[in-house]
Amino acid sequence: MQIAMTPLNNRAWLLLLPAVTIMGLVAVLPLLTVLNYSFHDIFTLESRYWIGLEWYEEIITSGRFWASLARSTLFSALVLSIQVPLGIAVALLLRSTRHPTLYLMALALPLVVPWNMIPGMWLSLVGPQGLIGPSLIAAGFDYKFTTVHTWALLLTMDTWHWLGLVVILSYAGLSAIPAPYYQAAEIDGASRAAIFRHIELPKIAGALAIVLLLRFVDSFMIYTEAFRINAGGPQGATTFLSLDLGEDINAYSYGSAAARAMTYFLIVITVVWAFVQTTRRRPA
Amino acid sequence: MSRAARTLALGALLLFIALPLVQSVVLSFTATLPHDGVEPGSFTLLNYRHIFETPALVASIGNSFLYVSLNVALCLAAGLPAAYAFSRYRFTGDRHMLFFILAFRVTPPVVLSLPIFILFAQLGLVNSPVGIALVHCVFNLPIAIWILESFISAVPREFDETAFLDGQSLPGFFVTRLIPAIAPGIGVTMFFCFIFSWVEVVFARILTVTGGKPITMAINALFSFRTDIGLVMAMTVFSLLPGVLMIVFVRRHIARGFVIRT
Repeated sequence: MQIAMTPLNNRAWLLLLPAVTIMGLVAVLPLLTVLNYSFHDIFTLESRYWIGLEWYEEIITSGRFWASLARSTLFSALVLSIQVPLGIAVALLLRSTRHPTLYLMALALPLVVPWNMIPGMWLSLVGPQGLIGPSLIAAGFDYKFTTVHTWALLLTMDTWHWLGLVVILSYAGLSAIPAPYYQAAEIDGASRAAIFRHIELPKIAGALAIVLLLRFVDSFMIYTEAFRINAGGPQGATTFLSLDLGEDINAYSYGSAAARAMTYFLIVITVVWAFVQTTRRRPA
Repeated sequence: MSRAARTLALGALLLFIALPLVQSVVLSFTATLPHDGVEPGSFTLLNYRHIFETPALVASIGNSFLYVSLNVALCLAAGLPAAYAFSRYRFTGDRHMLFFILAFRVTPPVVLSLPIFILFAQLGLVNSPVGIALVHCVFNLPIAIWILESFISAVPREFDETAFLDGQSLPGFFVTRLIPAIAPGIGVTMFFCFIFSWVEVVFARILTVTGGKPITMAINALFSFRTDIGLVMAMTVFSLLPGVLMIVFVRRHIARGFVIRT
């Protein structure tokens, strides 16, 4: 028997109508179109031929796809393992400062920079006339031709761009911890690590889940920033999944691009779904 | 952590955040190409003057404002009733629907860019701010629903019931009671919708072929064989101002009022 505090009321669907209509038009309909295109060979949009799963077969049997997938996976893994611990550490640090709002405002600044401007700012900074460029170049930094340096620059730039989001959401979670929790822990003589593990981590778990998902998707599909830094180079070392897709679109290979897009969509949705399933089972 | 180590860590953090911004501001006040009477490398206000002397740049500022405001309005108008429904009612398929809507926040824009262009070309929405405002709902509407839902759920249910006992209609209740009660939530929602729409590039590019170009695309168009980096940076700095204003506007709620439900 259901003892719901909330009334079961299907008229609630009426309230969803505006949102569902918009999402249907700009999200569902386009997604179905991509799905349809992915089964076709498209010369022009008027003349297309059903070819079934051929594009998908071509993609998953190509070395290019697996290499990009490996690069994107590695990039996301690095982004998450740098930004999430760092963001939590900064949020904890801000808890003990007198003016946390000022730091949060500063950390939010990179979030309001248009995405296509970020690479330009960083390239100016590390360029020969930049503020830190000359000393970096003297130390042997060469992002154009050295793979590790391109990766380092991309990761630094991405951390600069998104650290604020991790900090803001973690900080919001930490702020919701009532002071008596800390006092009780102090009386029990709990260590700093124990406080983090048993009081703070559970409180920010919800926020962290959101952060992990958003950071995973956006880093996995990084396009604008990666392209402007080194156009996927040196020698394809930063050609991520979305740069591959961009190549297909630029070559007007719509059928192949659609199949590629669907493949990425399925990967992302599978990861998100698996993540939601595993976090839901564990009581927070 | 000792006091000195903490100060050092926070100082390093601020330096890291500031460096690229300072670099851009410095360049925006530097003559990077030879202009009449100004030596390259010297201090100048010319870059900012050039913004206002270039009609395409001025127009792009208006275009960006137009579609971003439209998008924020759309997300609030459609997101508020939806968030209310998720917060207050149980209905058939509600949890699935919430996951379904949030799933589109994690759909990469590149995946949808091609069909959206074709669809919007048929609807006559290419080169129009309405088109971009609609498309940005793909990622902003889920965000709006998610934030508003958590703020509405923080309001006790009795609040609604009292209003309905007073004989208020649902739309009347939204406007006169609910919106004032969750004002910080409205502010945070506007902030996130505003910045995500303002900084977005993929959709903004494909939907502005010949006209209606936003700031981001107007800056892209400045890149050429001889790029005036000073002008690019002046425009970049200029494009930050609305975002900075938004940060100042919601600073009190950016972390504190942000209730996150697990």
